[in-house]
Amino acid sequence: MTATSQPAPPAAASIRPVLRAAQPPLRAAAPALLLGALAAGSSVALLATASWLIARAAEQPPILFLGMSIVGVRAFAIGRAVFRYLERVVGHDAAFRALAGLRVSVFRRLLPVAPDGLRGTRSGDVLTTLVRDVDTLQDLPLRVVQPLVSAAIVAGLAVVGVAWLSPVAAAVLLVGLIATTAAATAVLSALSRDAERRIAPLRAELADAVLEYLARWETLRAFGADAARRERVLDLDARLRRAQSRQSAAQGSVAALVTLGGGGMLVATLLVVQPELAAGALTGPELALLVLVPLAIVEVVGALPAALGAWWRVRASAERVADVVPESVPVEIPVAPQQPVSIEGLEPSIRLRGVSARWPGAARPALAPLDLDLRPGDRVVLHGPSGAGKTTLAHVLVRFLEHEGRYELGGVDVRRLHPDDVRRRVVLLEQQPHLFDESIRQNLLFARDTATDAELLAVLERVGLAEWVAERGGLDAPVGERGRLVSGGQAQRLALARGLLCEAPVLVLDEPTANVDPERAEAVLEQLLGAAIGDDRAVLVISHAPVPSHLVTRRVRLEPAP
Amino acid sequence: MLVAATAASVVVRSLTQAALDALAARGAARVKSQLRRRVIEAVDRGGSAALGQRSSAGIATLVGQGLDALDGYVGQYLPQLILTAVATPLVVAALLLSDLATGIAVIVTLPLIPLFMVLIGWATQAMQRSQWQALQRLSQGFLEVVQGLSTLTIFGRQHRQSARIERVTDDYRVRTMRVLRVSFLSSFALELAASLSVAVVAVSVGVRLIEGSIPFALGLFVLILAPEAYLPLRMVGARFHAAADGLAAAEEVLDLLHEADARPDAAAPVAPAAARPGEAHGVALALKGVSVDRGGVRVVDGLDAAWRRGTVVAVTGSSGTGKSSLLAAILGFAPHGGRVLIDGVALPPDQRPARLAWAGQRPELTAGPLVDVVALGEATPDAALAARALALAGAIDVPVATVLGPAGAGLSGGQAQRVAIARALYRALAHDLDVVLLDEPTSALDVDAERRVVDGLRAMADAGRLVVVVTHRPAVVEAADEVLDLAAHRAGARATLEEVRSR
Repeated sequence: MTATSQPAPPAAASIRPVLRAAQPPLRAAAPALLLGALAAGSSVALLATASWLIARAAEQPPILFLGMSIVGVRAFAIGRAVFRYLERVVGHDAAFRALAGLRVSVFRRLLPVAPDGLRGTRSGDVLTTLVRDVDTLQDLPLRVVQPLVSAAIVAGLAVVGVAWLSPVAAAVLLVGLIATTAAATAVLSALSRDAERRIAPLRAELADAVLEYLARWETLRAFGADAARRERVLDLDARLRRAQSRQSAAQGSVAALVTLGGGGMLVATLLVVQPELAAGALTGPELALLVLVPLAIVEVVGALPAALGAWWRVRASAERVADVVPESVPVEIPVAPQQPVSIEGLEPSIRLRGVSARWPGAARPALAPLDLDLRPGDRVVLHGPSGAGKTTLAHVLVRFLEHEGRYELGGVDVRRLHPDDVRRRVVLLEQQPHLFDESIRQNLLFARDTATDAELLAVLERVGLAEWVAERGGLDAPVGERGRLVSGGQAQRLALARGLLCEAPVLVLDEPTANVDPERAEAVLEQLLGAAIGDDRAVLVISHAPVPSHLVTRRVRLEPAP
Repeated sequence: MLVAATAASVVVRSLTQAALDALAARGAARVKSQLRRRVIEAVDRGGSAALGQRSSAGIATLVGQGLDALDGYVGQYLPQLILTAVATPLVVAALLLSDLATGIAVIVTLPLIPLFMVLIGWATQAMQRSQWQALQRLSQGFLEVVQGLSTLTIFGRQHRQSARIERVTDDYRVRTMRVLRVSFLSSFALELAASLSVAVVAVSVGVRLIEGSIPFALGLFVLILAPEAYLPLRMVGARFHAAADGLAAAEEVLDLLHEADARPDAAAPVAPAAARPGEAHGVALALKGVSVDRGGVRVVDGLDAAWRRGTVVAVTGSSGTGKSSLLAAILGFAPHGGRVLIDGVALPPDQRPARLAWAGQRPELTAGPLVDVVALGEATPDAALAARALALAGAIDVPVATVLGPAGAGLSGGQAQRVAIARALYRALAHDLDVVLLDEPTSALDVDAERRVVDGLRAMADAGRLVVVVTHRPAVVEAADEVLDLAAHRAGARATLEEVRSR
């Protein structure tokens, strides 16, 4: 469930580039494929040579004649285990290597549209899902392509090998393999394809419902809504259980079908080779070999259900990835001009004339046409009811969003400048800043990587965090995953410290004190707007809380777009 | 005849296999459902206290993905273990009866499999434990870059991230492969032990066939049967690791249930009180000697109050004076001393929410269309009433067509707060409840929005309701008819106590 309406999922064609990025090139995948085929082949060959050995031995030849096959049995036995081990190690390694490339390629597709051009990312955990989906894609080489290719190679070789002894038995084997594979695929598609696709979304829905129930228990209880929500959790649980039972029933049936197919091939082989046996064209040991190959080979075919299930999951993930990351940049997102004008020497003053903007996919503008001037030394406060487009304006100023009207930086239309260059001059401190799972130092340094520890401690002092950092054990203290180890107010003040560190001449602050205690808010604003920030910098503050008037040179009020 | 028997046994084998898989999966699903249901029931009985120190997100993960890992244990490992216990002795017995030498060879080699497993299991476990945290952190690396993309773009760092992603993923690969190389060793050992055992049997049978000491049919029979002796045990080994995860999750759930059982019920069942009240003196809510403890400290001590319909009461006091705890006590969410009378009736804690409309400090909005969110708890939401409640809460700027994401995503902080107020007002209007309790309803609002909320609350009071507002905002306190300062009450209570002692 998301707050914005999602466009229709793109056609199947557009998942192809995603899948192509997930599959390592043949050169990288070949060793694992080869090893997989060798492992599967060894297991068929082991049974074949062993049965031939015994049948031949029954004819009591001199032991010399059996030397080769005795060695063969041992070699294939060791080979099967060694090749399987190597296949798994090499295959996983190749898949992980491909994952690095896949992640980078998805990330490169995100870059030109991020952050505002990603569909639906303003709400919910779309990004978390995206990352999980990208990671699911590594199953493509590992659990789809590899088992299928090695099964195909071994099945092909077995048919050829059998044909050498008895063409008619080979025909039985070929037909049997094709029929078993087709039947298994058909049964699995009919029974569990839907279940397989439903399971992941159902699981996510159940997790959300459980979380809502546990985290909102008091509210639900106070509103008498707990019974209905409990029913919903139990209903989702039942639906998930049904889907999973269906899936496992399907997989059980397919396993049975494969066993049946192997047995059928064995019986059929026995029947069709009778004439050849009677005619003496086939020896006893050869018969033993022919009859046992189908039993060994169905084990290889048995990998099919899992591969098919993995394929459906990979496909669904690829569709979602293709869905979130648009193939072309939406018109609402700025693109870099072919030949950007150099930003060097431009005066850092901003001039907006009739600027309005729309979010991608939105029908109406989120910002009514606005005139605004911002010169060095200005301290401007932007007021306005929620929904008037305050944050939208902030995103326009840092070129996350394209605008209508005229936006000039130092007298030059910003469309002629590179967005990266504009952001070097105009820095936004977001309402919900992201803290990286690193040390406090790392989280500050990326605002200015030449800053010394003394400078870092000085800005921390200015936002009132010096004491807290000292308590935590200094700049090397971690902030935890998504800033888990710091409170909302501390996270926001860390982000403000970034703003103080960076040397951009224009600062845009989006609700800088929303999570800061009222007593401390004024002191923080004093630091951000007061003389200490410098007369050569301009600051635009978006705030719903009052800003003391001695800190402000101008106030602007935004009204909602009609 | 023989061919027919073969065909029949193939059919039987495939059918029993399918039945086993299906039954095992069904059993796993049922166990998971039961555990999930019992966690929910434990929460119902004991309130959020049932969760103990655990975070609700952590528990949601546990009863979600955590329990899914039980599939490996209940659905695969246990049936395989039973199958092994039944099938392996049978196959070995068959082998012993038909060919003593092969039977002995199998009996000697079989224990090698669990032995390998245990040895390798120890090695892997130590390895995995030492790598676990590093792996967890690295696996978050990509997510972190994607989630922080807007912050990175603002500071012009986005282009350097490709290299970082490659580095983190590669580091992840190297460390994971280090673990996997050892983990895969266990299945390597299993395969090798099984394959070699088959090879040993085949060669020894072959040699004895040449000598003519056993007939061909027996040799073939033994050869085909020997791998079947190893198969179940090999599968147990293969499924052992998957089972371990599920078992850990199940243990955690059982711990939680155990703790919840040991805790006394927060809302003990009490016989329902007499229905509707004498409307004595227009008092909607009365507190008589109410005391509340929080974390072992008494935050509210012997509070008396009687609040009438038609008034707005502001409850103030610096943080830590028990404002929210008092509301929780009135609602019956927190144990308390003294009596709470709603419309003159002392209701048991679990029946009080039905007579009160409440908005907590955090909006705690649910997901869904705005009207459904505002009409929480109603089977048939009334759109007109929802619009009226939203207007009273000053939430006119929230489009009615909004669909909220999980945790109220899609609204700004101020909007969410007003929607939460509207939700409480809707309930008061829909059920004609006399008491509205609000906890810091305007903390995220600007002056204009706050004024609109205060106007709405005044209108609710004028319509004959009691509105109790916990607040520290001057505008709200000014608009109230009566102010209860908990800090002053606390000081007063302490003074009285000292007076008593001095006597």
